[in-house]
Amino acid sequence: MSGLVDLGASLWALLTPMTLFHVAWSMLVGIIVGSLPGLTATMGVALMTTLTYSLDSELAILVLLCMYVGAIYGGSRSAILLNIPGTPASAATSLDGYPLARAGKGGYAMGLATAGSVIGTLVAILMLVMIAPPLAEAAMNFGSFEFFWLAVFGIVISGQLTADTTPLKGYIAGILGLMAAMVGSEGLHAHVRFSFGIDDLNAGIALIPAMVGAFGFAEVLTAMWNRRGVLASTKDKSDRTIPRLLDLWRFKWISIRSGIIGTLVGIIPGVGEDIGAWASYAAARRTSKEPDKYGSGSYEGLAAAETGNSAVVPGSLIPAITLAVPGSASAAVLIAAFFIHGIRPGPLIMIEQPEFISSVAAMLVLATIAMGIYGLALTRVFILVLKVPYAYLMPVVFTLCVIGTYALSQRIFDIVIMVGFGLLGFVLRQMKYPMAPLVLGIILGDLLDKSLRRGLTLSDGDLTPFFTRPVSAGFAALILISVMLNLPFVRRGLSRLIGRGRRTKNA
Amino acid sequence: MRMATADRVTAVVLFVVGLAMAIGGWTMDRLEVRNIHPASIPGLVPIILGVLLAICAVLLWYSTTKDPERGTREFMADGSWLRLALTGVSCVVYALVLVGWLPFFWATAVFVSVFALIFTWPERAEQKARALAIGGALVLGFAVAFGVSILFEQAFLVRLP
Repeated sequence: MSGLVDLGASLWALLTPMTLFHVAWSMLVGIIVGSLPGLTATMGVALMTTLTYSLDSELAILVLLCMYVGAIYGGSRSAILLNIPGTPASAATSLDGYPLARAGKGGYAMGLATAGSVIGTLVAILMLVMIAPPLAEAAMNFGSFEFFWLAVFGIVISGQLTADTTPLKGYIAGILGLMAAMVGSEGLHAHVRFSFGIDDLNAGIALIPAMVGAFGFAEVLTAMWNRRGVLASTKDKSDRTIPRLLDLWRFKWISIRSGIIGTLVGIIPGVGEDIGAWASYAAARRTSKEPDKYGSGSYEGLAAAETGNSAVVPGSLIPAITLAVPGSASAAVLIAAFFIHGIRPGPLIMIEQPEFISSVAAMLVLATIAMGIYGLALTRVFILVLKVPYAYLMPVVFTLCVIGTYALSQRIFDIVIMVGFGLLGFVLRQMKYPMAPLVLGIILGDLLDKSLRRGLTLSDGDLTPFFTRPVSAGFAALILISVMLNLPFVRRGLSRLIGRGRRTKNA
Repeated sequence: MRMATADRVTAVVLFVVGLAMAIGGWTMDRLEVRNIHPASIPGLVPIILGVLLAICAVLLWYSTTKDPERGTREFMADGSWLRLALTGVSCVVYALVLVGWLPFFWATAVFVSVFALIFTWPERAEQKARALAIGGALVLGFAVAFGVSILFEQAFLVRLP
């Protein structure tokens, strides 16, 4: 209950004209970025980080959260109108949104998507204020052994759940990220590793240039490489864009359940909004009275997908704030932004800045309100945004990638890093390697490296505490089970066992 | 190129990278002079990561022989190579050559104008349409260069390259 009281107090403190001004413009930019296919939320947050260096820390974080919330929501516009998700998070939205738009109900579909996103974010904000403080307190008992496993767990789960084809490519992406984090001065003895005599590499590979490259430049290349979609040309015959209260009431359980599923998916390290949307969509379909309508214009399916992906945003901030382990790729950039603005995420956050969690929740509430207002008021206006030619848009995006990367440390070398990661990111994407584990690897590499070596020093080289301390043992078991379940011979053995069990039961 | 072949080439590259990192970690200074604990040597995690990547590379190679679908799927077949090459070259030239060599304003104006012009150039059109494309690209280039320079120099106090 005290969490809600703190949330109310933080919300009240945030209600100043300056704050509302920043919410207004950053949410608008966020929705526009998200609605343009090829520009993702992560890229938006990474680029916006470079534009908020000089802002006051509270305002900078507010702007970044608005960008994140807005971009995830904005993806539904192009998913509904173009059948191309503006961000991967809206892939499930296009399944039912586009058929609705083709049937002339695009306006109402966008209104329903807005309502779903608002409900999803609000459910997840409630869970954020309830779960984050006790989680941070529990994490106070974590030592090097637990943090080592937490980092490994993040990479393994993220690699497994975000991989398109085989989890192996997810693991490889994660290892490549960890390897990138090994470059430069290490955290225990300040020994410089893999710098190859280049002085600029002594401090390591900075996260922002790498992220801007992997998500900004790589997305510019991907957008120009792909063919563009065609706007649903059917004239919109929706008599209204604001969903009826009756419809919202009909979807109340779907919305709440999707909100909870989205939040829980968000808490899992590095998994992200697209999985949140698919998991909510699948759960809604399984329990629906009209499952055959899914995929051909179901309001239920649309509401579930949009509620699910929006709920991941606050959910992904739960581990990001309390453990410094990002719940999504965008949350990884947010962690870097927190550090830039003097906020140290991790278990100590409840001691160093106890009001931070409620403050973030209050910012998310403001962002949600702005999203609802823009979404319902400007439904048809956003269609115009989708008509901006890439030939004009992409050079502007790339210019911001270059100058934003440079602005952080005013080093030309960071631009080289950005370009390198952009080219690498593009090739890896084309080969179906997920980007989230790569990013997670870069951000968790230092934690994994220091925790393993510090733990081994504490135990005098003995590996036993990594497996005998209760939380460590739990993480180790989870990692082992999730990796084993992906091995073909283990799966074959399991299905044989289950089949034999069923046959014995039937006999 | 087929996806299976692309995966095999990647597997070889990843194996070499993994091996290089493991050897790099093994031969890295163990800081004995500073009497650090032998379990905390800086090369420990790179060795582990290198070995893991090499194992993953072997598994990746093996998986290409077990997945017949990957042998039929084309690698990068659903886009335009010409557009990709033009985008890649113009972006890399701008970021790595023009920025730092020309003042930022001029580098950006040239890049944005050229990029916009390349992708809006009407191939079989009248003089008027071509003049419009050139005019549009130039206006965009100078407007973006001016806006971004002012924003970063005056508002964010960045010394532009």
